[in-house]
Amino acid sequence: MAILELAGVSKRFGGLLAVSNVSFSIDQGEIISMIGPNGAGKTTAFNCVTGLYPVSAGDVRLDGLSINGLPPHRVTKLGIARTFQNIRLFSYMTAVDNVMVGAHWWMKERVWDGALKTPRARREEREVQAWALDLLAQLELANYAGSYARELPYGLQRRLEIARALATQPRLLLLDEPAAGLNAREKNDLMALIARLRSEGLTIFLIEHDMRVVMEISDRIVVLDYGEKIAEGVPTEVRTNRRVIEAYLGSGASQEMHTT
Amino acid sequence: MLSFLRIPSGPAQRGQSAAVFWIVAVTASGMLLMGWLLPWFVEPTSSGIGFSPQDAVLSAPMGPGAFLLYVLAVTMLLLVLSPLAEIAAGITKRPLPLIADRVRLVVAVVGFVLTLVVWFLIRVLNEEPLFGPIDSHTVTDSAVWLTLYGYAIAALVYGARRWVLARGNVAFGAAAIPFGVLLPFMFHQAPDFLLWAASSLAIYMLLALGLNVVVGFAGLLDLGYAAFFAIGAYACASFASPTHHIHLSLWLLIFIGAGVASVFGAILGAPTLRLRGDYLAIVTLGFGEIIPDLATNNVFGLTGGPNGLSSIDQPRYGPVNFGTNPQWFYWSVLAISVIVVIFLRNIERSRVGRAWVALREDEIAAAATGINTTTTKLLAFAMGASVAGVAGAFYGSLVTIVSPDDFSFAVSVAVISMIVLGGIGNIVGVILGSSVLTLSIFWILPHMNEWSMTVSAPGKPLEFLPGLATVNFTQYTYMVYGIALILMMLFRPGGLLPSRARRVELEAGIESESLAAVQGRA
Repeated sequence: MAILELAGVSKRFGGLLAVSNVSFSIDQGEIISMIGPNGAGKTTAFNCVTGLYPVSAGDVRLDGLSINGLPPHRVTKLGIARTFQNIRLFSYMTAVDNVMVGAHWWMKERVWDGALKTPRARREEREVQAWALDLLAQLELANYAGSYARELPYGLQRRLEIARALATQPRLLLLDEPAAGLNAREKNDLMALIARLRSEGLTIFLIEHDMRVVMEISDRIVVLDYGEKIAEGVPTEVRTNRRVIEAYLGSGASQEMHTT
Repeated sequence: MLSFLRIPSGPAQRGQSAAVFWIVAVTASGMLLMGWLLPWFVEPTSSGIGFSPQDAVLSAPMGPGAFLLYVLAVTMLLLVLSPLAEIAAGITKRPLPLIADRVRLVVAVVGFVLTLVVWFLIRVLNEEPLFGPIDSHTVTDSAVWLTLYGYAIAALVYGARRWVLARGNVAFGAAAIPFGVLLPFMFHQAPDFLLWAASSLAIYMLLALGLNVVVGFAGLLDLGYAAFFAIGAYACASFASPTHHIHLSLWLLIFIGAGVASVFGAILGAPTLRLRGDYLAIVTLGFGEIIPDLATNNVFGLTGGPNGLSSIDQPRYGPVNFGTNPQWFYWSVLAISVIVVIFLRNIERSRVGRAWVALREDEIAAAATGINTTTTKLLAFAMGASVAGVAGAFYGSLVTIVSPDDFSFAVSVAVISMIVLGGIGNIVGVILGSSVLTLSIFWILPHMNEWSMTVSAPGKPLEFLPGLATVNFTQYTYMVYGIALILMMLFRPGGLLPSRARRVELEAGIESESLAAVQGRA
């Protein structure tokens, strides 16, 4: 069953059609990658899904219900979490606080509970903190719980961003270039992590340039170029798709690509 | 498993605690010094009997009791010079031996007890034979109080150095709160002006605490904060003056001021939701100008025009009229301030506090992480404004008249200066910053007027500078703000007590590197 469905989604910035009539759907439990050359509109599509941009035309549906025009925090509450291409952690918050911000929307503590430090608020703070620490431990970040996000090594910052997204208890996780800047070992760890998250029932939708990562973990791949979907299919199909090769290497290169 | 819990309050926290240690230690020395020098500053008319070791040293021969005074003078000198020893130890990187702390603890305790003994002998037993003739005008009870307090907090920092270094904020409270509470006793001989100034200090502290929510926690630069102060003050003045023939109790007014101001905070905050940084600052600047202007023009006939609202009720509690008992007014502001501090501190560490910081750090990421940026921002504006409203309620009762001039841009600037000086985002820093600036404005500058007249009179040390007496130091209020800000930015850009995040940011220094810094010239 489709968890997320894009139906003819377009996004226009003035004269630029960044995303043009893109349609595809993501099934529950799938790992689906979106690839395409720089400027193809991948991140714009992400932003349309997560409510950062309103779509210009078309419809984004979660479980068959339109989520068009919902503000980002409402989208998050409906079960879509994301990371960002350029890491956007809360730099001067500790790692555990970053994760606890992810727990913000489902925590029950009200302003007055917090101001008066009611027993209920204390208990919840304690529980959520323990929960956040557990989450950090699962992502092997436990040693950094008290460090500021910006003090973490780059690779761990990427992972902390995933931890923060997971803290919102999503059903669908959007990862924007999670492997960017990671070394080979970190990429392997990332792939293992993604596989593990899927095995725990999460649906994963990622943008990625690293073809090794994309080809190894994706169930299906969607290819964008100049805002349009030019291909969709399982990795082996996409790998040999002529339009995809042209988009990446220019027309004429596709023949050579096949021989190497 | 929970060992991480110590990490946030680990090395970085110690930075702040070290600053607290220094501040308390230097304050102890300052108080001892002031206790010593105060008799020189006060007018002969302020009678009172105490003692002053300087007299013991300067005007021998005296009675046999003078021996006690010499001992006292030595203890004082040791403690006054103590911070210098600390500095020397810091420079040579050779920490003082543990015994030094023990000695100073003993010295402080001895000084404290001896001060009490001498005071008791002179004041209560009137033992003139023991001490010789005492020139009554050179000594005051205030000097004794200050001396005692100086010894007490010296005993605290040197006797419990490790505790102070571990729990800086608690130690700061332990050193500062008793002073706040005892203030009316300490200066009971001083004119009511002092309590008036102390109440003003507490009101400004409230303002700084409120603005810190908006600027420090949520990162929304608000240059028109005085508007909410005005709204709170006018709202309360309307409900406690003959203007509308309503006379409510101050305790109700606090809630009215907070409520009305917070509603306006949310209303004025709404149009700024899409703005950040400079743009937000300019819009709030506009609001800060609009509100006093509306008041001047007697909007809806509610504000009394340029003259404002006058004859505001003196608060009373049962039989106690706070107008004639200014210490009660002062204590009530102080109590509310302490409550506000506790509230804000709790909120800072709660779910909402985290959301504010997240918003400050990265609004888009915060939104994508499930934070409703609209309500969270409005909450920050409303909460900041409500604290200003409380301050406004007290302000009206204190000065009994509110007029548009009281809420000019200058007030917003003053409050921002306070939080910048103290350390944006750090509650203890903000308390310190507001105290330092308000003290210098309300206390040090007026005293400099007296002092300049005294020292440049014929026959006094600065006789050759007759012009000094004509300088009105109180007119240099804004110069104090200006100099404080310049020195701060140059030498301690995070404020006196920077928040932990700010401190790390400054140490990292990546976002704000200047060309000179990159080239190694700064």
